[in-house]
Amino acid sequence: MNRLFKIEVLKIRSNATFWILTSMHIGIILLVILSGKLFLKSISLGDAFEKIIDPSVIPIYQFPDIWHNITYVAAYLKFILAVFVIISITNEITYNTLRQNIMNGMSRMDFIISKLFLIFILSFGSAFFLFLSGLIIGMVSTPDLQIHDLIKYSGFIPAYFLVLMAYLIFAMLIGLLIKRTGLAMGLMFLYTIIIEPIVVLRIEIGWIKGLFPLKAINNLIHMPFGKYALREVQDYVALQDIAIVLIYTLIFIYFTYLLLRKRDL
Amino acid sequence: MNNVVSTSGLTKHFGRIKAVNNLTLTIPEKSVFGILGPNGSGKTTTLGMLLDVINPTSGSYTWFGHPPDKKNLQNIGSILETPSFYPYLSAADNLKIIAEIKNCGYDHLDESLKITGIYDRRYSAFRTFSLGMKQRLALAATLLSNPLVLILDEPTNGLDLRGIAEIRGIIRIIAEEGKTIILASHLLDEVQKVCTHFAVLNKGMLMHTGPVNEAHEEQYLEIAADDMGALIKVLEKFPQQYHVENKGDFILVTLPGKILISEVSRYVFERGLAVNHLVLQKKSLETQFLEILKGEA
Repeated sequence: MNRLFKIEVLKIRSNATFWILTSMHIGIILLVILSGKLFLKSISLGDAFEKIIDPSVIPIYQFPDIWHNITYVAAYLKFILAVFVIISITNEITYNTLRQNIMNGMSRMDFIISKLFLIFILSFGSAFFLFLSGLIIGMVSTPDLQIHDLIKYSGFIPAYFLVLMAYLIFAMLIGLLIKRTGLAMGLMFLYTIIIEPIVVLRIEIGWIKGLFPLKAINNLIHMPFGKYALREVQDYVALQDIAIVLIYTLIFIYFTYLLLRKRDL
Repeated sequence: MNNVVSTSGLTKHFGRIKAVNNLTLTIPEKSVFGILGPNGSGKTTTLGMLLDVINPTSGSYTWFGHPPDKKNLQNIGSILETPSFYPYLSAADNLKIIAEIKNCGYDHLDESLKITGIYDRRYSAFRTFSLGMKQRLALAATLLSNPLVLILDEPTNGLDLRGIAEIRGIIRIIAEEGKTIILASHLLDEVQKVCTHFAVLNKGMLMHTGPVNEAHEEQYLEIAADDMGALIKVLEKFPQQYHVENKGDFILVTLPGKILISEVSRYVFERGLAVNHLVLQKKSLETQFLEILKGEA
């Protein structure tokens, strides 16, 4: 186990693409989170609603809301990490290093586990960074700091971690299936942004919508902002949503294994 | 002598193409085993199956008498086709990854780099390497776990003469350590120079397998005299004679086993003929190889 982790660390340690994409991911998260206040100010101009509530005073950065808000927003930026996962997988194919790894005595399952370690490093790193950012921004922004407010909704951080894990495992499968970097990325985004949303939109029955893989992943963290317009939002992570995502994760891993097993490398 | 590899009816079809067809082959321990064949004869496909990266259509194989297992592969150093490494990583980091995969520690890392002569460039990224250095790194990688078996697919491909000589030298040194080396090549000369055993593949079929020495045993004698007509008559009566062929400029005598030149020349001389040309030729592997291929066609 430890060995497989070490192998993956050796592979990414001096890989410029890894450092560029992860810094980009973290930089953009920070940028988006910090621009929330500016965004609220920009929509507050000349609105009739303003007389009741001024949007710029909405407590998006205060505990406990901040956890839900930042995880929801940051989850949109998971695609940057998916790009790296796809590159990492397709490069192993184009460089023939996947084949060399197997020839050197790495089993196919070992290879998948080592890539799961990579996905874990990316997801955990991003979630940990988001946790630290939330903690600092929350402490600065919350006037009356209460420990139970700080803890409430912090469960969205592990949920965010799970969102990343599941999505990146999906990216691993796509990368292995398509083999070519550009093509795999194209398909990944076509599916994420166009294909699945359109299919989901056409389906009438609510619970079936939630069974599509990306919809299921995104369902872990519902949109939080409705509550500031006094609408009811799901401000918790539902157990059944977690179960669906976990099942998908296992299916993705199984298909990845099947692909590796059946294919001549 | 035990067998390192033994295949039984190994077959691989790519669509309608039979890349390897019903291959039954054994590779003895501590041999330097050459797999010869023209391009596309199924050498790499065969090795790919033995290395678990190509799924056989049918048939089976064993390593050291056991069914395939990743532990076996950890004890085999292998190169298939081109050297495959992470281009952005240094030679040393690439080798560390392989050492981790093989679970063998870094004990042989420096030594492997030194044997193959790329120690000085160990911190350079793989992508900066010339083809010769890439081949050397691939060879270094096979030595990392001090394996019992080396599989080398066209290890001198694309190298200059000096590089070829050096790589062959390294292979000989490794062979002397008692390792089994399986060497696929389309270069007969290469197999003849370094191998103890060989197999010939053509269009996925096994045409011949056996020790290389055996191939040397057939010898020819080129012989000529001023009076060729008399010479041929005399030679036809030579007691151990096997085959006599008039080549025009000389007469080609094929004899099984060792030919004693002195015996032949004395025999001819005693019958009143002076020999003006007498050359002993070993039948080269190349001639045999071409005959094997011709026999199939």
